[in-house]
Amino acid sequence: MPHVTATAALSEQQFGALVEALSSDPTRRAELTDLLREDHPVYDQRSAASIVRMRGWILIALSHVGLTDTALLFVLEELDTGRDAYLVAAAARALRSYANPVAAFAPFVMRAITNIRYHDEYVAFERYGEYAISATGTTSLSELLATLVWLGPHACEILPELEQLRMNRGGGFSNHLLLEIERTLEAISGPAPPMDHRTDMCCTSPISLGDALSWVRGSRCGCETIESTVFKDHDGARITFREFFRGHPSVVVFFYTRCDNPQKCSLTITKLARLQNLLLERGLAEQIRTAAITYDPGFDIPERLRGYAKNRGVLMNVDHRMLRAVEGINELRAHFKLGVNFIGSLVNRHRIEVYILDAAGGIAASFERIHWDEQQIIERAVALLNEERDARARSK
Amino acid sequence: MSKARNKKRGKRAKPKRASAVKMSSSAAVTVATNARKPVKERIAAMANVTQAVCEKDNKFQALLKVLRNMNEPIRVRLAALQALQAASFAVVQFESRRADYLATLRAVATDADPELRQRVLGLLAREKDGFAQQRLLEGLQQPGKALLPPEKALQLLSYDIHADAYPVARMIVKSPPNEEAKREALRLLAADASSKPLFERILNDKEETKENRQLSASALQAIAPEAMQTHARELLLDPKEYDDIQATSLTALTQFGTAAKVEKDEELLKRVASLKSAGSNKLKRGARRFLTKYGS
Repeated sequence: MPHVTATAALSEQQFGALVEALSSDPTRRAELTDLLREDHPVYDQRSAASIVRMRGWILIALSHVGLTDTALLFVLEELDTGRDAYLVAAAARALRSYANPVAAFAPFVMRAITNIRYHDEYVAFERYGEYAISATGTTSLSELLATLVWLGPHACEILPELEQLRMNRGGGFSNHLLLEIERTLEAISGPAPPMDHRTDMCCTSPISLGDALSWVRGSRCGCETIESTVFKDHDGARITFREFFRGHPSVVVFFYTRCDNPQKCSLTITKLARLQNLLLERGLAEQIRTAAITYDPGFDIPERLRGYAKNRGVLMNVDHRMLRAVEGINELRAHFKLGVNFIGSLVNRHRIEVYILDAAGGIAASFERIHWDEQQIIERAVALLNEERDARARSK
Repeated sequence: MSKARNKKRGKRAKPKRASAVKMSSSAAVTVATNARKPVKERIAAMANVTQAVCEKDNKFQALLKVLRNMNEPIRVRLAALQALQAASFAVVQFESRRADYLATLRAVATDADPELRQRVLGLLAREKDGFAQQRLLEGLQQPGKALLPPEKALQLLSYDIHADAYPVARMIVKSPPNEEAKREALRLLAADASSKPLFERILNDKEETKENRQLSASALQAIAPEAMQTHARELLLDPKEYDDIQATSLTALTQFGTAAKVEKDEELLKRVASLKSAGSNKLKRGARRFLTKYGS
């Protein structure tokens, strides 16, 4: 069996066999989760469709062996932002193999229903890389509804939304699907779980999940390796990492203009614009900088960066820039440990990632995978700003 | 024949003609899916099935069955495909039909009829369907398995920049099965920033066809506008260069040129001034725009 770190050259069929082997070996199951990292070498130079097949197969394998806390985040991410029916269906199925239903999962499942309802497809999970060519078996919507049934009364929070979905028949669900929605409503409306299982009723996430979504670096790493990285901004002006990121705390998001998932890059940049507005409202727009750095510097030339940002209401000036790295791209990727992979120069898969940098350019906190809250980012950045002001005052 | 009878006949005949023209959508599906009806009548009825297909599952399923059935006349199957495609434009109403529709398209993507195959693969490719992409790539890598001619397969793969078609497109540019396939491969690569050297080579190769050089000029302008500016100047100064290529060069310099540099380039300004009254209309227009921006 090949070692997981040497998988870049595997054919898809070999990859499928590897996943099956890992899932049947209890001592190597952690490697399955590791394969879900977007920056894993196994995804290097693969098409987006190949990556869908590969990740889908890992999720299906996890659904057989049981979803662990570490893999949970990847599943929720897929439900939160996924647009591919196969991956979303596999994620829904994997979630049902988690140890116990948790109320906090319900909004993710409901969001996935909203995201996928106009992209629903039949899916086949029997063999690696299989595509459904007949209208039998399961669809992504059926899998999501089955997951809500599994959550049962724990999903009571999304009951009004699901009712709305059933009422809105203009949307045109088939009779079969309407029946499934009825069944789901019935399961959710059932008797509440016993008190000893109700610790999660107010939407608290499993503890490990909260830590994984956003974290504060215990010891902030330095930025020596990327200080001389050269960027060009939305106006074509050259600036180094040191010049822009030193002296002020900053919020950094990653994106690329050719991303075809509206739940990822487009939304990230729209949210960056909202975050800038909050900074302006609080009079902090000159003390906390923002930057959006493209994963695709070869294609995202200044005109494209400017157009993309302008269309989403982003503020662009000396303190707030859209950036493309023109030198030191690999160092930048390594420094942020970016959750991204490429085919040629093009991104083939990436996660959502936002970083808060301190005034020395070191990473102070990051938010990954699941949609971030602008207010929460501001609070973290402001705390950092105050922390630095205090430190300066003390040193005086 | 009595007058009364004639009158009666006339009265009956009118509504019958009217119903033939204004058939309800449900009735149209009944005719369209009835194998005993003449092909022409079935095809005509297909034009009217959209509403029923969106509203009634049994009507929709009946139409899918026609599309899948290899024993049906191909003209009827093609008409069924067109009707289903038209229905799919009503995204919201078609919501519950989509999964069945896609599964059926995949099932007929390998059909024996080349036209049906091409149209179905086209529809799936627009959905960025992994199944269709896999088959198309396989056909380009192993021509024995090809479902479509290479130029068509490349065109369909270009709908998704993430389809992993760049390596095979480069291979086709290097050793093209035909000129059209090479052109489609270049079109596909026009979104690939790392193909800049390839386009620079073709653009400057006067032995290449005009179409391929023009494609390269447009591609360079999209992926490397700064590099295109340098080439654009040389291309404009060459009096033997094609009008289309010079027009693209003018656009590149007008949109992305560095004003301080261009405004001082006497040789270039003089040359563009001469183009204002020579060459094609496109070239003249381009020259006027350029001079409005940089001319004194």
